[in-house]
Amino acid sequence: MVSRRQDNAQRIAALDTKAEALKLRIGQGIAEARAMHPDLDIVEEDVEGDRRLLDALADWCDRYTPLVAMDWPDGLYLDITGCAHLFGGEVALMEDARRRLREQGFDVRGGLAATPGTAYALARFDSGAIIEQGDEAQALAPFPLSALRIAPDTRHGLESVGLRVVGAVMAAPRAPLAKRFGKELLLRIDQAVGRVEESITPRRPVPDLSVERRFFEPIGTIEDIEQLVLTLSTTLQPALAQRGEGATALELALFRVDGTVFRLRVRTARPLRDPKLIRILFREKLSATSESLDPGYGFDLLRLSVLTAQPFAEVQSDLMKEGDEEVQTIALLADRVEARLGRQVVVHPVEIASHIPERAIAYAPGAATPVDEEDDVQPASTFTRPLRLLRQPEPVDVTAEVPEGPPAHFRWRRMHHRIVRAEGPERMIPEWWHDEKGETRDYFRVEDGEGHRYWLFRQGLYEGEPRLAPLMKEKMEEEERRRTGKSIKAEDPNPAKDEDDDSLPAAPPPMPRWYMHGIFA
Amino acid sequence: MAVSALAQERLCALRHEIARIEGVLPERLAAPSGAPSGKEQEATANGILMRRSGRGLPDGDVLPSHVEPLDELLGGGLPLGALTEIHAPTARAAGAAAAFVLALGSRLLQREPEKHLPLLWLGTTEAFSEGGLPYAAGIRETFGIAPQRLLFAEAPRLGDTLWIGEEAARLPDLAGVILELRGNPRMLDLTATRRLHRRAQAAGRPVFLLRQSAEQTPTAAPVRLLVAPAPAAPRQTLDGPLQGSLGPPGLLLTVAKSRTARPGTFTLEWNPHERRLQLRTTNQTSAQAQPAVPGALVSASVYRPHLAQAAGQVVGFAPEQRRAAAGG
Repeated sequence: MVSRRQDNAQRIAALDTKAEALKLRIGQGIAEARAMHPDLDIVEEDVEGDRRLLDALADWCDRYTPLVAMDWPDGLYLDITGCAHLFGGEVALMEDARRRLREQGFDVRGGLAATPGTAYALARFDSGAIIEQGDEAQALAPFPLSALRIAPDTRHGLESVGLRVVGAVMAAPRAPLAKRFGKELLLRIDQAVGRVEESITPRRPVPDLSVERRFFEPIGTIEDIEQLVLTLSTTLQPALAQRGEGATALELALFRVDGTVFRLRVRTARPLRDPKLIRILFREKLSATSESLDPGYGFDLLRLSVLTAQPFAEVQSDLMKEGDEEVQTIALLADRVEARLGRQVVVHPVEIASHIPERAIAYAPGAATPVDEEDDVQPASTFTRPLRLLRQPEPVDVTAEVPEGPPAHFRWRRMHHRIVRAEGPERMIPEWWHDEKGETRDYFRVEDGEGHRYWLFRQGLYEGEPRLAPLMKEKMEEEERRRTGKSIKAEDPNPAKDEDDDSLPAAPPPMPRWYMHGIFA
Repeated sequence: MAVSALAQERLCALRHEIARIEGVLPERLAAPSGAPSGKEQEATANGILMRRSGRGLPDGDVLPSHVEPLDELLGGGLPLGALTEIHAPTARAAGAAAAFVLALGSRLLQREPEKHLPLLWLGTTEAFSEGGLPYAAGIRETFGIAPQRLLFAEAPRLGDTLWIGEEAARLPDLAGVILELRGNPRMLDLTATRRLHRRAQAAGRPVFLLRQSAEQTPTAAPVRLLVAPAPAAPRQTLDGPLQGSLGPPGLLLTVAKSRTARPGTFTLEWNPHERRLQLRTTNQTSAQAQPAVPGALVSASVYRPHLAQAAGQVVGFAPEQRRAAAGG
């Protein structure tokens, strides 16, 4: 028996068959139930756990159709349109699903109908039934009202006027029903009998293409999986070629015998359809995830899906020039690294129009496309930017002339450095269009006695930052005072108090701080 | 050990013959500066010393640093298709070591300019956190390497970094690989470095193993260099050097291991105008003999596609007319 907190009391949320035989019912208070049967075994409800279990089941049901929707808290919808023939017909499919789930230890009920509403009712009140399209109204008629997916209040209302089965509600005139119980009731009835189209919301987007293979004998070794990826992607290739596309994201779903589903995803920088390359990418992914991928008793279904595809540029191979191939191999390396490490790590720097050093360079994945003018860089001469920039400016203790002199010595990473020569400052005003609260930085290039060259900066000014907003405010206040100056004087008999207010010390500007930002050649 | 000069000469000729058949050149070594005795002395008399098992480096496959004494010491330059270790004694010195690698890298990028091959700089997160991330703006400014020609990669674990390094080392469409590590990890042993070295050999492109604060342990790299920073030269102005300023960066380079060279130490300087390393000249006389600004007397004009047109028209006069026009 499972309990749940509801309406400020512990109430029964779910019962097993034995508890039902003791004439307990859902919604009853726990105290009452205990009074009736002191030896009850009561477990607190675990919503998260239930959700995870239903999620895992939905994953498992992906083996029948890609369109699986959750019916929280206790159901799943499977849209098997166009899938039934793969399993030998609708009856065989339902039997197979029910049998396999029962083997996993679930008490399962299922119904098959042309509308989700009717299937819902069948699963709950006539498990195993299959209703043809058009027979819905007849099939639903004897069921109680909870078969209709309506709110409990509506159901109680209908029951209180004597409408206790679906057939009675359907036979009643529609207009008064809508007036009294709202539109939802009629909508649900119409959906159940198919007068209104209803679609389920699948949990996952349907892949563009997918191929799968089932095994009688489960497989478990990485080598077998790799080989099957090659086979599956070879099957996939003509379909991709026909669409003129290449895959940019692929997913390999591994269905373990006990119902667990593993999903491995790889993304590619360029559209891809060569089975060998797909296999190489999955090999990296498999070797990276080999610890978490536990084959257990083996996998009995493998599915390779193309999640996203892009137009694939068919290139006539050129006997003389092999230019394009080169970028491909760097791109392939980048893809393999991404498949293995799970994120894009091969990047190239891109210059951004910004004078703030850490903003001036951004990173874009993969290799840059070669440009002919790229070597036309300005001659180097000034040495004002370091070769290496620290990830974050690191705070340092600096002895320097106040307010704007160069530093004399500093302590960085628990080491004391004496500065012999310094150049600077190079003042950098924050970019007010990005960052209103930024502080001015004064950069110094310094060299210690051994020849190490560093890039230090002081953040903030001793006299405080010149801010546009306070200046504006001050100006407006002054203007206001000039306009209303006379009246203030006339009204205020004690000008000394006013002066007192003004002489309150303003908050001192924060002390400038020093940071280490980079290392020069 | 009395081996006649004739026998020595014949032996030498035979070794040359074997080297020719095998398609490799004998190694060249400068005579050791010490006072060798006996056989060694005789062998080095003609300036050629041959190792029995030594495989010489063919002349074409070196990357010259264009610093003559250094290249001479290394037998023409650094081996091109090989692993080269470059040590920075501390994380602070990583800037100087990076400068030396980039100086070589800018040479590499100039080798096949039409191919636009990029240079991959790969490192562990630890090394980049300690030494700083390579900063493309500074690299462009100092070494003239366009950001498009650089590729960066960073992996948190050493195993992954070495794996990317190995995969990249055999990629023919990279100009070179810089692999940056910190300390002496156990994983970086002879086997791991040999794998890198062999792949670099096969691809014919160098792999630079940039190491921060590492002990010198046995590796498969044929050459190991130690790079420490040296005080920068003052900036050169028209009035001469500007005191107290920081001009071209200095490097203190030590050849710590080489199969062909003796140990040596050089103080180098990066010349940004000619984009090459040069030996620092210390004595004042030679500094004065050089022009105040190193490089060409007039610097090449920067990108100026539309030059101003000359004003007016050029009108040609006959010599007599010109004289008449001048009032003569």
